[in-house]
Amino acid sequence: MSSNHEDIKREQIAEAVEGWTHGGPLYRRPAFRIMILVVLFSAFGIWAAAFFTDKIMPSILSTQMGSVHDTVILFTVLAAPVSALVYAIAAYSVYKWRRTGGDEPPPDGPPIRENTLVTSLWLGMSVILVVVLLVWGMTALSSENQGQLKPVTVDVYGQQWLWTFKYPGTGVESNQLVVPTGRQIRFVITSYDVTHGFWPNSLGVQVDANPGFNTYITADPTKTGQFAVRCSQLCGLYHAYMDANGKVVTPAQFSAWLISQGASSSAANAYALGGK
Amino acid sequence: MSTTALLEDTKLGPKAGGLYRHQNFLTGIITGGLAMLVGWLIAHYTLQSNANWGSDMVVTVTMAAWVVGFMAGIGAFNAVFRWMIGHDQDHEDELYAAGVSQGWKRYFKFCTDHKVVGTQYLVLVMTLFAVGGTLAMIIRTQLISPNNHLISPQTYNAVISIHGMIMIIATIIMVSGPWANFILPIQVGAKDMAFPRLNALSLWLVVAAVPPILISLFIGGVDSGWTTYAPLSVQSPPGQDAFSITIITFVVSVTVAGINTITTTLTMRAKGMTMGRLPIFVWGSIVSAGLGLYAMPAFLAAQSMLLTDRVVGTSFFAPAQGGAGWLYENIFWIMGHPEVYVILIPGVAAAMDVASTFSRKPVFGYKIGIGAFFGLAVLAIMVWAHHMFTTGWAPNLADPWMLTTELISIPTGIFFLVIIGTLWRGSIWTRLPMYWVYLFLWNFIIGGVTGIYLSDVPADQYFHGDMFVTAHFHYTLLGGAMIGATAALCYWFPKMSGRMLNERIGKTAFWVVAIFFQVTYFGMFWEGFQGMPRRIAAYAPYFHTANVIATVGAYGLFLGWVILLYALIHSWMNGKVAPSNPWHAKSLEWHISSPPPLENFLVDPIVTSDPYTYGEDEAATPAKNPTPATVGSSEEGAH
Ligand SMILES: [Cu+2]
Ligand SMILES: [Cu+2]
Repeated sequence: MSSNHEDIKREQIAEAVEGWTHGGPLYRRPAFRIMILVVLFSAFGIWAAAFFTDKIMPSILSTQMGSVHDTVILFTVLAAPVSALVYAIAAYSVYKWRRTGGDEPPPDGPPIRENTLVTSLWLGMSVILVVVLLVWGMTALSSENQGQLKPVTVDVYGQQWLWTFKYPGTGVESNQLVVPTGRQIRFVITSYDVTHGFWPNSLGVQVDANPGFNTYITADPTKTGQFAVRCSQLCGLYHAYMDANGKVVTPAQFSAWLISQGASSSAANAYALGGK
Repeated sequence: MSTTALLEDTKLGPKAGGLYRHQNFLTGIITGGLAMLVGWLIAHYTLQSNANWGSDMVVTVTMAAWVVGFMAGIGAFNAVFRWMIGHDQDHEDELYAAGVSQGWKRYFKFCTDHKVVGTQYLVLVMTLFAVGGTLAMIIRTQLISPNNHLISPQTYNAVISIHGMIMIIATIIMVSGPWANFILPIQVGAKDMAFPRLNALSLWLVVAAVPPILISLFIGGVDSGWTTYAPLSVQSPPGQDAFSITIITFVVSVTVAGINTITTTLTMRAKGMTMGRLPIFVWGSIVSAGLGLYAMPAFLAAQSMLLTDRVVGTSFFAPAQGGAGWLYENIFWIMGHPEVYVILIPGVAAAMDVASTFSRKPVFGYKIGIGAFFGLAVLAIMVWAHHMFTTGWAPNLADPWMLTTELISIPTGIFFLVIIGTLWRGSIWTRLPMYWVYLFLWNFIIGGVTGIYLSDVPADQYFHGDMFVTAHFHYTLLGGAMIGATAALCYWFPKMSGRMLNERIGKTAFWVVAIFFQVTYFGMFWEGFQGMPRRIAAYAPYFHTANVIATVGAYGLFLGWVILLYALIHSWMNGKVAPSNPWHAKSLEWHISSPPPLENFLVDPIVTSDPYTYGEDEAATPAKNPTPATVGSSEEGAH
């Protein structure tokens, strides 16, 4: 192999890589233009995520739902520049390096087979991102289950195709899910027949209802409001209609509601206002 | 055609092939139909009496009889049978089985020529996409208004289940079927696959697997989605039995095909074709095949256990008798997650090769790209429970599952590095196959990023089981893998058909697909953010706008694929005759005529470099063209 050939090859590669930083005024360099595109694409991605979470998702009625919102925003802020980099280079390659070859191919490009620096940077960046994502997710997970007062327990029963909620100790049984603010709600979930998916939308939690045993999930409602309880697991014929109404209310309203459903006032107050 | 003795022109004796001479697709259907009838009669009159599971037994026996009967009728067992009775096939019989002197009829036979099998696979895949796509249009039409009564809830559940399963079957074989059979053996310098009869077997098993799942629509359907979660699926109508037979048959096919692809690559390479010189598509294909060998048998296990629960009263998944739905879910996803990468990897690998050819540059980071295939395959087997984050199963394992799942972004990130590194400073030749590579990049990023939201356990507690998931995996499987497969299709179409694909129509199709794809799944992401569950036949009025967007988009998307199909059929019949190397690419398949002759290379090729020598001094890599390989092809005008 001639050293001359090696030199030419090295030159070509060096030129191709240094296209980032060399070549005329700043605004004409590929690196600069690609960075502009990255910023534009990222801004669009972050705007889209913010739009979706703020305007389209159900309102935040619990800590958990708040962390769903935060996660979408944070992950988008992290992922947007990376995606934008790919889009920017792709867009730039079409715009700048396109050759109209017709039936004949354009001349060969530079034979860049690999570049250790670029590859290492790319890998390093992915690893850092994964670590950030993981720490975020683990923190959110471990911060669950932190109520001061005794949690309010609600028993959830799924069956084809309706939900039943029982408020133990009060004798109240309803097809409506009502929970108070300021307390941790502990859902104990099971099913009378097949697997269902218990999903109180604005509470930002979800767990399956399985026949034969219980599953558990906790939510910390922070704000009053209405929401939908849906079934998130295909459960047969009328799966689509397996909805219930949900409501987050103040503790006082909650105990009033329990009483209106037939609970004695002492039981309702003990249950709703908690204590120990 | 040159006067060199092409195998196709060999004169065979009047008895060559034996029974094969009288067997084809039609005899397969007739024999299969008769077997069904016999199976039904026997089951009906002997087993129906058992009131508990009689009808399930009858359906199972009838469907299994169809599969066996069809395979026997088309000749799948001839050779084995002859070998058993001591009348092994002779050379002429083998040539007959390979399709010699049968013209177009060989495409309807149990043919062992890998190029015939590849072409058959392509037609099969497109047929499956047509069926699955039509079902998708029914789904989207049902969802055009909140309380539509186009189809009943029962039919709706059956339609979404069958749409899902048909599409999964089609996407699993969409690259490994046509291209790992047609192109891969040529790329490694082989004359055929390592096991030609198994090759034909794998194809016809898929064909045999299709009717039962379609019949299931008419015998009560499947009401638990393509995932057929137990215990619901244990109680489903008899359609579920037919569905299980389809899966069991299909898994045998995928397993047989995977063994064939791997063996061919490991043992049939031409002289000088080291593993390091293989086109990256070959690497992608064998990693995918290997992962399939790990994953798919779990599906067979899950469906077999489900079937016995239903038919003979075992209780693997029936909670009332001590079974567990979670057991089904685990076995299912042990298949289900790796299966996604079985689908994805060959499409990505093909996109890498297409990017190289049309950038006129080597694949950037060839080795790390292959490393990423392996990395992805290994991670794929350790993430299945992220599909079970919200089931309540093993909450203490949430952190580890989240870790392995998020690690996946490292190998997938490398895929992007490889492709954009290949584009970087290339001479971008904007031919049709390259268009799809750009669309692949666009879509697969969105699919990948939205997957990260779902990997986060707290966020998944909102998005799980809603339309966000549906939009996400359509971006990866349709937007990523299938667009990669479309790049492969447009790239290798001239080699397979001997005709150039009409680029004007093809590019029209491209733009329609590209735009309406975004519209469709933008609508579904919207639904997902709003909190619309998957798989529902009716919905609350506030989901309406998003559903209309998705439905309109889906119609446009369907139209785009129809245009592409038109381009393919039109070009196959009337297209310009393809030269042997229309893209001036360097892998071995481009050194032989389009379409290639039987047994591909009349003189064995000798390989001295990898196929990525773009821009490198010819003198530095002498004899990179395996000169002898061009023998037997007479270039343009051969037709
Ligand atoms: Cu349900
Ligand atoms: Cu997965």
